[in-house]
Amino acid sequence: MQRSDLDKWSERLTRRLAGRVSRRSMLSRFGALLVAAPLFPLLPVQRARAAEPAQGTDFSRAAQTHDDTACNYWRYCGIDGNLCSCCGGSVHSCPPGSQPSPTSWIGSCINPDDQRAYLIAYRDCCGANECNKCSCLNTDHAMPIYRPQANNHIIWCFGTNSFEYHCSMAVLVGLAE
Amino acid sequence: MKRIAYRTGIAAGAALVLLVGAGLAMPAWGAALTPPTHTPPVLQSEMAGVTAFNGLTAHDLSYSAMDGLEGGGVRIINGDTLQDVATVYSSQYANFAWAPDDRTLYISETYWTLGNRGKREDVLSIYGGPTLANEGEIALPGRLISDPKTHTFALSPDGHYGYVYSFQPAPAVSVIDLHARKVLTSVEVPGCGLVFPFGKRGFASLCADGSLAVADVDPQGHYTVRRTKRFFDVMHDPVMDESVADEHSGRALFITYDGWVHPVHLADNPRFGKPWSIEEAAGMSPATSHVGQITWRPGGQVPFAYEPSRHRLFVLMHEGPAWSFEKPGRQIWVLDTRTHRLLDRWAVPESAYLVAVTQDTHPLLFALSHQWLWVMNAESGAVGRATQIVAPGLVRVRGE
Repeated sequence: MQRSDLDKWSERLTRRLAGRVSRRSMLSRFGALLVAAPLFPLLPVQRARAAEPAQGTDFSRAAQTHDDTACNYWRYCGIDGNLCSCCGGSVHSCPPGSQPSPTSWIGSCINPDDQRAYLIAYRDCCGANECNKCSCLNTDHAMPIYRPQANNHIIWCFGTNSFEYHCSMAVLVGLAE
Repeated sequence: MKRIAYRTGIAAGAALVLLVGAGLAMPAWGAALTPPTHTPPVLQSEMAGVTAFNGLTAHDLSYSAMDGLEGGGVRIINGDTLQDVATVYSSQYANFAWAPDDRTLYISETYWTLGNRGKREDVLSIYGGPTLANEGEIALPGRLISDPKTHTFALSPDGHYGYVYSFQPAPAVSVIDLHARKVLTSVEVPGCGLVFPFGKRGFASLCADGSLAVADVDPQGHYTVRRTKRFFDVMHDPVMDESVADEHSGRALFITYDGWVHPVHLADNPRFGKPWSIEEAAGMSPATSHVGQITWRPGGQVPFAYEPSRHRLFVLMHEGPAWSFEKPGRQIWVLDTRTHRLLDRWAVPESAYLVAVTQDTHPLLFALSHQWLWVMNAESGAVGRATQIVAPGLVRVRGE
């Protein structure tokens, strides 16, 4: 079989290493590497990376954090529908007369106050007639319907008594980092 | 008409009273009451009926207003006159398709026994006959309830089979024999969605990993589903739900958020063509998903219309950042799908969410904004009539 240049180079390197380093030495170094591995995330390099702000999006550049009845409220980066905050509910509670769905699609939005990305559950309130107030259509990283876990066109009323869509919430799940 | 006859009766009665009161002693009065012989006859009565439906014409547009506010309903409008032709009842979030006879309408829809609750019934309703009347239903095992999406329901090219995309509880496609009016099977398409028919009985679905699921059937009616290679990057530039396909030829154009067109010939073994960029066809740099890049991009609710016979692709375009794929278009770009060249850029009077083109020799182009329907010449782009409409969700024309 014809050997490639890479094969020949690898063989030379291995033979040279074997000639200079003992087997015991190799094992001891490998063992030390294994023991030290859990400490790597604590090193300053990792902490510095964790403190880096999330990369902004076109939505987050114009987002605000004080008015949850406006479409540019930071959590609404992927919302499609009526804001429950305008319908008698809030950003995380359904208006009376409607029922929160236990299912949702998950997006990730950047809070402009700390520039960090948070997971948001877009949860529909169901059972009452459509609220028809504060209708928003934001599509930041929203996916097509064949990727349903990130799609805002599906009526997310699975698990409730009714599929009648009323409004949408944007419930904070946690940091996305 | 009954009101007119009633008034005539009152007048005749009053005249009779006057005559009796006068003792019938004045012949000149009697002569004056004699009606002239040349007066046209007054319509006295008629029967109410239903105007005959002669089938969807080449220039008819059928559309639905399918969201929670407008309710449902499939409306047909004549593109030449902008007169209403018919309206057929549907539930909210329904989808519909015309049989190849252009007279039979199938509506995929969902009802609950108590309106917003109770027992759920997913059905394929059938309308047809001389007055587009209801002709029964086929019970479905489930269907996806979502904002209107063209490819959640489709027919085989010969109209023998119907395909309903379901999400109850897992992604599947129900195959219905429309001649026998029964569901044949449900084909699971895990990780995939929507339905693009091809051939006599095959269909394809788009998948969440950037591939296609291809379902073909053996002579015994058993479906086999296979995955193709990944042909697009779903995380950075997904293919749009409203991509277009000509089920008669199997030519599909899967178009991404950034305007890359992936030509695919749908078949048991699909053939993938080289992708091309709508923006590059216009002499511009391709759109990307980079933050801050404001450029021309496809967008809207139904942003593409395909005319296979002339190899024309009509695209609603807007200027915007990445992920603005639902923003309405203020221009329609006309592209040649063979040469990948931009042929025209036409302004629409009002930013449009939906576009459709008729499939005849003198095609009309429809552009639909939130409340207006504009009719354009599909060869010159000249804007013709407009009419106010109920906000639509889906559009279909004859021969699609």
